[in-house]
Amino acid sequence: MEARLTEIDRGEMLRYLLWQGGAIPEEVDAALRRGEERLRETAQPRAVWRVFDYRPGEPLGGTAYIPEGEDVRAFLADCDQVILLAVTLGAGPDLLQRRLRLHDMSGALILDAAGSAAVENVCDNLCADLAAAFAPRHLTDRFSPGYGDLPLNQQRWFFSLLDINRRLGVSLTESGLMVPQKTVTALVGVSDREQPKRPTGCESCALAERCAFRKEGKRCGT
Amino acid sequence: MEHEILLLDGAMGTMLQQAGLPTGQPPELWNLTEPETVAGIQRRYVEAGSRVLFTNTFGANRLKLARSGHSVREVVAGGVRCAREAAGDAPVRVALDIGPLGQLLEPLGTLTFEEAYELFREQVAAGAEAGADLIVIETMSDLYEVKAAVLAAKENSTLPVWVTMTFEQSGRSFVGVTVPAMALTLDGLGVDAMGFNCSLGPRELLPLLKELREWTDKPLILKPNAGLPDPATGEYRISAVSFARQMRPALALGVRMLGGCCGTSPEFIRELAAMAAENVPAAPAPGKKHGVCSGRRAVSLDGVRVIGERINPTGKKRFQQALLEKDVDYIIERGIEQQDAGADILDVNVGLPGVDEPEMMVSVVKALQSVTDLPLQIDSSNPAAIEAGLRAVSGKAIVNSVNGRAEVLDAILPLCKKYGAAVIGLCMDENGIPADWRGRAAIARRILDAALSYGLPREDVYIDCLTLTVSAQQEQARETLRALRYVKEELGLHTVLGVSNVSFGLPARENVTVAFLTQALCAGLDLPIVNPNREAVMNAIAACRVLSGEDADSKAYIDRFAAQPENRTPAAAPESGMSLDDAILRGLGAETARLTVKALMERDELSVINELLIPALDRVGEKYEKQEIFLPQLISAANAACEGFELIKARIARRGGESVSRGKIVLATVHGDIHDIGKNIVRVVLENYGYTVVDLGRDVPAETVVEAVIREDAKLVGLSALMTTTVVSMAETIAAIRRSGHGCRIMVGGAVLTADYAARIGADYYAKDAKQSADIAKKVLG
Repeated sequence: MEARLTEIDRGEMLRYLLWQGGAIPEEVDAALRRGEERLRETAQPRAVWRVFDYRPGEPLGGTAYIPEGEDVRAFLADCDQVILLAVTLGAGPDLLQRRLRLHDMSGALILDAAGSAAVENVCDNLCADLAAAFAPRHLTDRFSPGYGDLPLNQQRWFFSLLDINRRLGVSLTESGLMVPQKTVTALVGVSDREQPKRPTGCESCALAERCAFRKEGKRCGT
Repeated sequence: MEHEILLLDGAMGTMLQQAGLPTGQPPELWNLTEPETVAGIQRRYVEAGSRVLFTNTFGANRLKLARSGHSVREVVAGGVRCAREAAGDAPVRVALDIGPLGQLLEPLGTLTFEEAYELFREQVAAGAEAGADLIVIETMSDLYEVKAAVLAAKENSTLPVWVTMTFEQSGRSFVGVTVPAMALTLDGLGVDAMGFNCSLGPRELLPLLKELREWTDKPLILKPNAGLPDPATGEYRISAVSFARQMRPALALGVRMLGGCCGTSPEFIRELAAMAAENVPAAPAPGKKHGVCSGRRAVSLDGVRVIGERINPTGKKRFQQALLEKDVDYIIERGIEQQDAGADILDVNVGLPGVDEPEMMVSVVKALQSVTDLPLQIDSSNPAAIEAGLRAVSGKAIVNSVNGRAEVLDAILPLCKKYGAAVIGLCMDENGIPADWRGRAAIARRILDAALSYGLPREDVYIDCLTLTVSAQQEQARETLRALRYVKEELGLHTVLGVSNVSFGLPARENVTVAFLTQALCAGLDLPIVNPNREAVMNAIAACRVLSGEDADSKAYIDRFAAQPENRTPAAAPESGMSLDDAILRGLGAETARLTVKALMERDELSVINELLIPALDRVGEKYEKQEIFLPQLISAANAACEGFELIKARIARRGGESVSRGKIVLATVHGDIHDIGKNIVRVVLENYGYTVVDLGRDVPAETVVEAVIREDAKLVGLSALMTTTVVSMAETIAAIRRSGHGCRIMVGGAVLTADYAARIGADYYAKDAKQSADIAKKVLG
């Protein structure tokens, strides 16, 4: 089960760039394409995951980690196993972005958006592979630290249980941020019952806190 | 002993987990709480045949022990004690184990090289005090971090130092280090042995080991995992027997130290011991490859390699201004430009009266390393600046330069040896430049002898036979070339030469420069120091690479010219009929520059800025607010306008005039926050509205902001924070500025902020986006 980047969703990129509709001129379209290419040239997708037994309110099997919060409890209500996963695009995009910042800030911003869309795609692919591997059982959607009331400081557990620092080359700063930046951690529940698609509304969106649409009282539409 | 196999130990973490170590707890604490268990595991390794035990101190650094309630000294001493105890009377050496710090170093992360050094120093001091026999730096993926650790080890102990790194199957480490870069850097730093640990299984590491062998003749270490882990369970899968079998081919490559990493056990070491008993490691073959490298990429010296000369203030007003204003970005852009033009190595010279050269050297070296992976050449006549540069550089650098004077050789060569740099020797001494080629050859020999006596390898001595100006001393071109040929053919050294000087004072200089360059390359020049932005120069080098056979099948040459239409006329770009407004709006930098030049024929600089560039940006801003364009377009427009501003700045600098600025603004991404893209956008926009931005970077402590505000007497400060967790430090920074009593205005921005919240934490303004920050600047600074 290799980490795979198959597609960089243009719509998603545009959302990260706060595009509010309207025409995309030729030169912007070219810049977006260049950003996608740059991302593909520099990204080295990697993933790590592990399965744990799960019972509500108890530590994950063989560990001392109890996922905190009501939201995750509800999310995993039907599940008896949990997969912890981490996905990164590696240091390449971060390094290129530092370089672009100097002479092509617009390119840096577009690369950033491409990275966000790409890391989601790698996560989607991994989850599709996991779903196939776990069939006929069913998987939930992804749930990440920082969503709902699952605090960001839970990243520490992901790092120690998945050995993320050593296996992905990602480090966690004192303030709970991950470097390289295009990195995602999440938990996915495993159940015998079919799992509902969670509303992909603002509540479960990683951008919820910093979304420009929400600040203006609007929604992005997904 | 020389060629005997030395058996190391196997996994510690895996064994501790089996012994009941809870996941998430630092394993090093068991040195204090469960010493019998730790020593017990190590004793089993000794019984299995291990002759070197790595202490259980992989993560015993101050960062990782922060919340443990124990000091580095305590935990390291405990680790050494356990290993000693396990060794008993057996002939076993105890190696102080040092793993990565767990935080990425600059430029990717925010931990500085100096901080990393300090953390490693603590570990080394504790280990040496506790009586370790050697130091093993392991599982590293960043050469910069390795350098900090090796320097800490060598400057704070006399123990032997071994280094093993971890690579991926791609042949690179997580941060992009290649095997040749690893070999060159570690050889230069004078480690006693090097190799790989962790990463992969023995079979997967074999090709990397082969590559390592080509670049170093140091003893090699191999301590791989027990194959690749099962992703679902994290367990390793190959057996002890097949592990030992897979390790055998490594002996043919001369690997002398063998052990195991994750997933291995005493049984694995026993099998290794059995295998080792029947095999002898091969001696390294002579004739390793050589060259220089950055922290990621090596440049081998088996062909012509271009050293870019443009990072140098001599005769460049705009560059001098940048140095005096500490405008490091301007300087490193010259690096990127040269890389894009085909430079292989960048010369770095920042010497200028009024500039603290050592300090500036460190800033520029670090900044260059954050944007390019070319090796650097530290160019200075100031030994303090050279040492500061050599310390800050990642990889293996070149020092430019020494000459035949004994006091210069004695001051600089030990630095080259210590930091593992190559050195350029100029063929001159206290009596000047010998007019005859034989005199220069004699100095070259003297420099070589001195370098060898200081322990530098022959292949790291590059000789510069010195170019003189033909318009003044016509016969000297021939002498230079003869000396060069001698150094290359008789001394067998690499040669370097700055060539542009030759044509000084003549019309149509490029003809003479290129002809001389071509002759020098023909005489055996390896490292021309040139301006790679000059197309004719780079064309000549491309052609010479074809003629020498270096460019196999003329591939690079064909690629270089395939993209270029024949007979193009670059100077006569057609009139587009586009207005400056249009050019900026569409983000067309070159067009903006052209139209700015045109406008400057009719108006003075200030009115071009105030009546054309700024209003054009304003109109772009309006369109953005009306959502007629979106963010990437706003920034492209700002970048395009920048081309116009830069042109005007250079013009004023040439005249020696004051730089134009509408006022100073300090910007910072607050402490704890590393997401600086928002701040960078604001910066571009503000700069292009004509403000001078003092950018303090990301993860900036409150006191640094306060200092900068006072030092620059800035009227406006912009703070950015992206995460809810770091808005707290934004509030602290604001409080610190207010406490200082400085009356500056504070604007804040960032994804999680709102106008309400900004007011609550004491900011004067909330900027919802980059455009608004420019509006605020206009309000505060005019």
